[in-house]
Amino acid sequence: MSSLVWKGYLLHAEPTFTIVQSPFTHHGERVFGADSDATTLAVAAVQHRLTEQSIESVTVPEGIDASTLTSSTSILIADETTFEACEWDLLLSDEATVVLMRRGSDVELPQFDVDLPVDEEFYNALNEAWGQEMNVTNVSQGAYVSVAQYEEAASSRLGLIGQKFNGGVTWPPRQMDSEARAHGEVTALAHIGKVQSWTRLSAAGAPSEFSTRAPLLGGISTVLLRLNDGPSGVFLVVDDEEPDISMDMDMELVVRRIYAQEGIIRYGLKARAI
Amino acid sequence: MPPLRGVFMVDVAVIGAGQTKYGNHALGLKGMWAEAAERAFSSIDGDFSPSQVDEAFIGSIAFGGAQLGNTAALLTEHSAMAGVPVRRVENACASSGFAFRDAWMAIKSGEADVVVAGGIEKMNDLTPERKRYWLGVSGDTEWERLAGLTFPGTYALMARRHFHEYGSTHDDLVNISVKNHLHGSMNKLAHIQKEVSFEKAANGFMVADPLTLYDCCPTSDGASCVILAADHVVRGFTDTPVWVLGSGAASDHLALHDRPSITQLRATAASSKRAYSQAGITSNDVDLAEVHDCFTIAELMATEDLGFAERGEGGQFAREERGLLNQGAVTINPSGGLKSKGHPLGATGTGQVVEVFKQLRSEVESNRQVRDASIGLTHNVGGSGATCAVHLFGRERN
Repeated sequence: MSSLVWKGYLLHAEPTFTIVQSPFTHHGERVFGADSDATTLAVAAVQHRLTEQSIESVTVPEGIDASTLTSSTSILIADETTFEACEWDLLLSDEATVVLMRRGSDVELPQFDVDLPVDEEFYNALNEAWGQEMNVTNVSQGAYVSVAQYEEAASSRLGLIGQKFNGGVTWPPRQMDSEARAHGEVTALAHIGKVQSWTRLSAAGAPSEFSTRAPLLGGISTVLLRLNDGPSGVFLVVDDEEPDISMDMDMELVVRRIYAQEGIIRYGLKARAI
Repeated sequence: MPPLRGVFMVDVAVIGAGQTKYGNHALGLKGMWAEAAERAFSSIDGDFSPSQVDEAFIGSIAFGGAQLGNTAALLTEHSAMAGVPVRRVENACASSGFAFRDAWMAIKSGEADVVVAGGIEKMNDLTPERKRYWLGVSGDTEWERLAGLTFPGTYALMARRHFHEYGSTHDDLVNISVKNHLHGSMNKLAHIQKEVSFEKAANGFMVADPLTLYDCCPTSDGASCVILAADHVVRGFTDTPVWVLGSGAASDHLALHDRPSITQLRATAASSKRAYSQAGITSNDVDLAEVHDCFTIAELMATEDLGFAERGEGGQFAREERGLLNQGAVTINPSGGLKSKGHPLGATGTGQVVEVFKQLRSEVESNRQVRDASIGLTHNVGGSGATCAVHLFGRERN
């Protein structure tokens, strides 16, 4: 196997382990990008491993959101009763790095030659903004998406799980189809689509959930994608890349942080240029 | 088959209509509503008492949450209509367009003879931060809001796609902005009574690319109230009623991405088709239209969906200034529209009816009177097109 850029991260894969690392550095140390964290790196690691082989379950350390990992990849999270039988472990390193390894393997961290220094003022301000957002008292009063509502569609939002209805594919899922039949057969959609339209919202035009970070980012961008499997969706563009978006351009969907409220990070799929 | 009951033949007219000035209003909910209601009552030519009202429908989103529950009962209590069966109607920005339709249906049903339809929104008493919480609550929150979208963003997606599919341009949108500001500059009840130059509108602050500040309506306070009556009681109130010729309404997918096309509002097309059919007329017969231009691209698409321009030719329609006051076959937004008259969400639908009522009775400022106006249209959209109500009005009955 080899090193490559995967889902916007640096990735190195061997038969017994996968390493995913942030491309950004601060004072010579690896740091997370604007909307990344250990969970989004872990999702990327599992997604890549699943392209090569089947994994039933994995152990997850503190610092990685297990629910998001499962919703994004359908992988099971090992608990006390399944820990011994589980063959794969996720590990965190201090420097924005996640390792997915077969238990008992030897892992050698590679030296990636990609090094994207972040602006110190921007980096500090953004981390402070995320800290404010994570305050448990921070909650939207106008367009509130409750934890229950968020989790009800988590597999659809994070794993692009759609439904087969009337010979076509429906996403996001419906409670029933146009002929009042409940729940079609579940199907996972490819995370790739073409741009149908896009906009960049000024910080003043962004929803209030983004009010602390949008000014730092200089606004936020949203694309309407026609997914290769048929349905369409609207997605934020990743915060740490500024692609030159054009009509019919191909983009892939990756898991990133969207915003936080009530002390809980809301994850979702964001678009990045392929 | 049983014979049709006589009530189905009832015609409905607007006998009175009034509104507050839109803008940053000093009054609160109760004061604004009382002012609009009083203006509607006093616009009735003959004797009228609020005690004659059988039913009332008041549209509002209850922006800010100041009086989320029983909004309507509070308002009727403060406008001499305590005791009247009343309810708040909520369909986002189309709330009072649907309140009007409900009022029309109440009379059509035979259950009521005199009905109030109105709307209200108080938006500018909130801090900027709280205001931003409440803007954009009418899309498919779970999907669109998490994708960073409020309505400027949603309509920006529509605009860019329309540019791509049909070759329309931002200059076409600027023409709409300039026209509506011109119309609004002559309307004493408008929020923004100021003309804007093409150059200024073309170079406004970018809100959601490609839409600038001059493509977006303001957030306004305001209330509007209209009084409808059954044909058999109309003459007791006025000799110059404005007849409701047709009413159409429809809904569509809440989320933009679920619709097969984002360059057309299917709910508008379906609503207008129904209303035209009921009235027995076509778009060619309409002299003036108050259309829902929450963003300039919304007016461009509405001219197509309502049949004033062919599909894809809304840009050309705007470029040729065919909606300008008394320039073409139809005047679009002689009031200034949402862009200039203002957009107090729940009040907008019946506010449009106030304008058409006055235009058809030649009661607006003379410099913005549509010549020989005999048929008017109102077009009220909820959100990005999930709901829509279209009404047609005439000086003469069907």
